[in-house]
Amino acid sequence: MTKAGNWQSYERVLLPPVENLHHLDVYRAHGGYETLKRVLKELEPQEVTAQMKRSGLRGRGGAGFPTGLKWSFMPPVKPDVPRYLCCNADESEPGTFKDRQLMEYNPHLLFEGILIACYAMSLNACYLYVRGEYASWITHLEEELAKMYNANLAGKNMLGTGHCMDIVLHKGAGAYICGEETSLMESLEGKRAYPRIKPPFPAQSGIWGYPTTINNVETLACAPLILGKGADWFAGIGAEKNPGPLLYGISGHVNRPGVYEYPTGMLITDLLEIAGGMRGSKKLKALVPGGASVPVLRADMIEGVTMDVESLREAGSMLGTAGMLFLDEDTDMVAFLRRVAHFYHHESCGQCTPCREGTGWMENLITRIDDGEGNLRDLDLLLDLCDQMEGRTVCALADAAAWPVRNTIKRFREDFERRCRPAVWAVNA
Amino acid sequence: MADFIRNPVVALPDPNPESYFSEEELIFTEDEKARIAGWVSQYPTSDGAVMWTLWLAQEKFGFLPPEVLQLVAAELSLPYAQVYGVATFYTQYFKEKKGTFVLDVCTCFSCQFCGGYDILAYLEEKLEVKRGHTSACGRYTLQEAECLGACGSAPMMQVNNGPYAHNLTPEKIDELLEAMEAGKPLPFVSVTLPQDEDEMGGNRRTDAEAVEGYITPPRSERTQ
Repeated sequence: MTKAGNWQSYERVLLPPVENLHHLDVYRAHGGYETLKRVLKELEPQEVTAQMKRSGLRGRGGAGFPTGLKWSFMPPVKPDVPRYLCCNADESEPGTFKDRQLMEYNPHLLFEGILIACYAMSLNACYLYVRGEYASWITHLEEELAKMYNANLAGKNMLGTGHCMDIVLHKGAGAYICGEETSLMESLEGKRAYPRIKPPFPAQSGIWGYPTTINNVETLACAPLILGKGADWFAGIGAEKNPGPLLYGISGHVNRPGVYEYPTGMLITDLLEIAGGMRGSKKLKALVPGGASVPVLRADMIEGVTMDVESLREAGSMLGTAGMLFLDEDTDMVAFLRRVAHFYHHESCGQCTPCREGTGWMENLITRIDDGEGNLRDLDLLLDLCDQMEGRTVCALADAAAWPVRNTIKRFREDFERRCRPAVWAVNA
Repeated sequence: MADFIRNPVVALPDPNPESYFSEEELIFTEDEKARIAGWVSQYPTSDGAVMWTLWLAQEKFGFLPPEVLQLVAAELSLPYAQVYGVATFYTQYFKEKKGTFVLDVCTCFSCQFCGGYDILAYLEEKLEVKRGHTSACGRYTLQEAECLGACGSAPMMQVNNGPYAHNLTPEKIDELLEAMEAGKPLPFVSVTLPQDEDEMGGNRRTDAEAVEGYITPPRSERTQ
């Protein structure tokens, strides 16, 4: 018995197999927005937050912060001080593609979650920040949102309860850094998306300086499930300390890549089997368990490891966004790291020097090794560079760039050494 | 005066750049002004509407030269520097003229190891244009993109900042380009909602039929 329990008979809740669930009428026919109505009628806002806390839900955006706790950080309501919710749909982490799936198949679950969150924290407006590349999905969300306003499910005096809750779509324009919460707020304010120094945290001073809570799409989509089926039901799914349903985005050298919904705490080996195994019956070489910025795992390190925060930390990696990239035995880890370094160099916003310059040097050094012109000491230089970058910048992008570099070199050092020039030139007699 | 002040190391922008659009063209219609006003009303200050307005301007003018940025700044009563700053920060705003079709091929790691670079090389050869450039006929701009969030259907590309074309193979690209040449709607675009999930025995995207397309080597010859 694994942490995920009886996952073979797991019934999907985030992406249930219902045809045309993205239409408002279909969603309502399947009991949609009933939870919201009940919550508005029966529960006090504090009780909603208490339920969220009891469910043990941890944020699905990568950091894994307990959601109920985050909601309770909002200061008490003051008259004339607006408060906002921000939904982070700027899903740009390489290897992550779960939120798009959710917005495509089940957008109303997200909207219902947003409205519940608005009620729990007494907010009037939510900005839904969707990355610009998802233009087609933004159009789709706009259509569904218009239907909601027509049905009086949002806006002024929603559902006749006297509450006013607006959902505003904001279209990004292609910047990875906007996934960082303070940078997302800067972007919403119509500025260059440079991250801010924390503290003050968004709950004290967020968008336009007003109290703000920022949650990921999948996190907010869990709220109607928790309130509808009960916090205990939710806490009973999957791993004890990191419960709930989870969208695993599986990509790379597997036979059936895609987004799979299962409980947290699934064995990595089970997930590989679900995804049809490695293509071409090749052997697994490496696994990135949660998006580009988490440390890569060697094939011999995944035995018995489950997909939850605790287990992956013990294994020497992180859950991140659960965007899993499986790589087979033919994979060139130097080329892999070169592309990762290129990504971070391209996406560094340029605000802090260690990151702006460091990511560039990282790419240069790895490119040199990839081209066969590197020296062994370049590897140590890279590790030194990681030390100089980590924890020395405003946001975590520099850390996110340093972790994969440090760990890929550490765990696949032989691959790198083979590509470097030897340390001592053989003397021709 | 120090020499570097007289001869700056960095090339300064032209103080009087050539204008791409005439005075008559550089206006927003009443309809567009109403849309902009709608966006402005959704934010506490007009700053928030900058990104939406720049998207509108890019849709209308094709790209964002300085005079269009001026127009946006004037419409929102913001300093030009702020609008310029925003337009230059985000990669999806085009600062120079692009082709009729902008092809963003994803080469970030999931796509890289499923043949993203091979797709890019194939397109370079087929369209006779290097990545990052526009073809001589002015129809195609080929770009290398960072992760576009479709790793489960790699390799993939985005057309004109809009629809995604998933699970690319050379044959699919040929068909796609044919449709573009003929001005027909694009085939293989996954913007609709595939609902035949159960057929595939699980909750995954269903347009991954081209698994054979993945046998391309992890990394193609570098063309740079």
